[in-house]
Amino acid sequence: MPAGLRARLDLQAVLDAAVEAVILIDENGIIETFNRSAERLFGWTAAEVHGKNVSLLMEGADRVGHDGYIKRFLNTGEAKIIGIGREVPARRRDGSVFPAMLAVGEVQQSSPRRFVGFLHDITLRRQAEEAARQSEARLNHFARLSTMGEMAAGLAHEINQPLTAIATFSQAATRMLSRPEGIEREDLSEALDQITAQALRAGEVIRRLRAFVKNREVCHERVDCRRVVEDSRLLLEADARSNSVQLRLQVADSLPSITADPVQLQQVLINLVRNAIEASADVPGAHREIILSASLDGEGMVEVAVADHGHGLSTEAAERLFHPFFTTKPGGTGLGLVISSSIIRAHNGRLAYRSTPGGGCTFFFTLPPLGVLPGVESH
Amino acid sequence: MKEKNTTVFVVDDDEAVRTSLKLLLRSVGLPVETCVSAQEFLDRFDAERPGCLVLDIRMPAMSGLELQERLNAMHAMIPVVFITGHGDVPMAVEAMQHGAVDFIQKPFRDQDLLDRINQALEKDRDNRAGLRERDNIRARIADLTPREKEVLDLVAAGKANKVIASDLEVSQRTVEIHRARVMEKMRASSLAHLVRMVIAAGEDTPN
Repeated sequence: MPAGLRARLDLQAVLDAAVEAVILIDENGIIETFNRSAERLFGWTAAEVHGKNVSLLMEGADRVGHDGYIKRFLNTGEAKIIGIGREVPARRRDGSVFPAMLAVGEVQQSSPRRFVGFLHDITLRRQAEEAARQSEARLNHFARLSTMGEMAAGLAHEINQPLTAIATFSQAATRMLSRPEGIEREDLSEALDQITAQALRAGEVIRRLRAFVKNREVCHERVDCRRVVEDSRLLLEADARSNSVQLRLQVADSLPSITADPVQLQQVLINLVRNAIEASADVPGAHREIILSASLDGEGMVEVAVADHGHGLSTEAAERLFHPFFTTKPGGTGLGLVISSSIIRAHNGRLAYRSTPGGGCTFFFTLPPLGVLPGVESH
Repeated sequence: MKEKNTTVFVVDDDEAVRTSLKLLLRSVGLPVETCVSAQEFLDRFDAERPGCLVLDIRMPAMSGLELQERLNAMHAMIPVVFITGHGDVPMAVEAMQHGAVDFIQKPFRDQDLLDRINQALEKDRDNRAGLRERDNIRARIADLTPREKEVLDLVAAGKANKVIASDLEVSQRTVEIHRARVMEKMRASSLAHLVRMVIAAGEDTPN
């Protein structure tokens, strides 16, 4: 057998045994080789696609732009994919589209120039990633629901407050109207204004509550830290009050915005504050204060911190803090800090703790600021 | 019906609830003063001022229950009406055990609250009357001679004249004379009345 023929047969055997689809094209994008895996992947036979433009295997912008890509590469040497490899949508014979990982190389010392592409179907990997993402989103949502379940009594109280004020203002107004000595217009008008304000206040609690527990897609957007802190405070107020804990806000002026999912950040913050409230439970009244702050740290990162004046962490708690299912709360899931930590990591940030000066514990997270100048964004 | 200078003190950290209570009480002509925190009330507290306290049970820093505890420790006798949320029944029970006049759940009918406030104001009037009475009794006791005081203590302890005479090594006739003087000075109408006065004089706060 002539050496040339043997080499061709060897090559054919290699190509046919390859797991990856292998496609060879010329400098006009015309298919020269199409191996078995490619046949299985795309549903075309080699005979059918020989001499056809490779763009028939493509989808979207690539399908129309491919000839142009080759020309540009031939003219400028500027590679869009050669030697890089990337995910592309690929099109089967029946028109269905699947995600593929594609690597392209140039055949050396070939004239005219030719290119070889290797690709495989990554549908399963994509599905696994999507499933992981969804189960994480479900876990986060579950955690939010469970947090809200624990906070329900307090939130009911938070809505009961404005209802009480409304009932009392309106009853006071009725009494004023029937007063023999006549109506104090000022008092009456204050009562009516307050009734409106309190109805809106109750509505606001419900609005934020709904936003917090809604099952929704994770959505990263431009976020103002002050807003997140204030929204969280509204949901935490009742919890703090029923534990006789004072919640104080310290938000630095002109903080840069960040890119984040505001509901998830709120979830983290609520988690940290509820831990802090628990830590403050058995300390004297004057120390039952939690400071919720947002500021810029020394490295220009946005830091959100929750400082309590509790007894600090026991050695055991410190060691197991971020372990799943470790909890000091009766009925706690032990997932709060684990989930919080993973949320912050997904935001390219860091969740950690330090001692509060004068005693207690401060949990904080840092997030990279959006690329804007400080001072541009203010609430 | 209401005493001069009687004031309803309202302590609630929620501004809206506080203001609404102020307007309600003003609308029925009750003088009212409000405090934003338990501490503010303590700082302004004057035991001489008659009135009652309308107290939110849940508050940051010092809760309503803690304020009640502090007032009890000071032997302050201002009657307390607690206002509570729905989930606060165990706390309300505790408050009642510590002497609260009553509690009322938010939101409430104005008349229900006003009834409780009137009840509390009445209790304050009774307390103050009892206090004045106690001071009178103490003054009368202070007016007794040492010997009469001895006889009073023994009579109040339930001893018969004969026993007292032997304890004090005097004649039974002498005891009878002292005893008559004691009854007169104390303005006691009967032995039972005298005993009640001695008990009342010994108490920190009237009931």
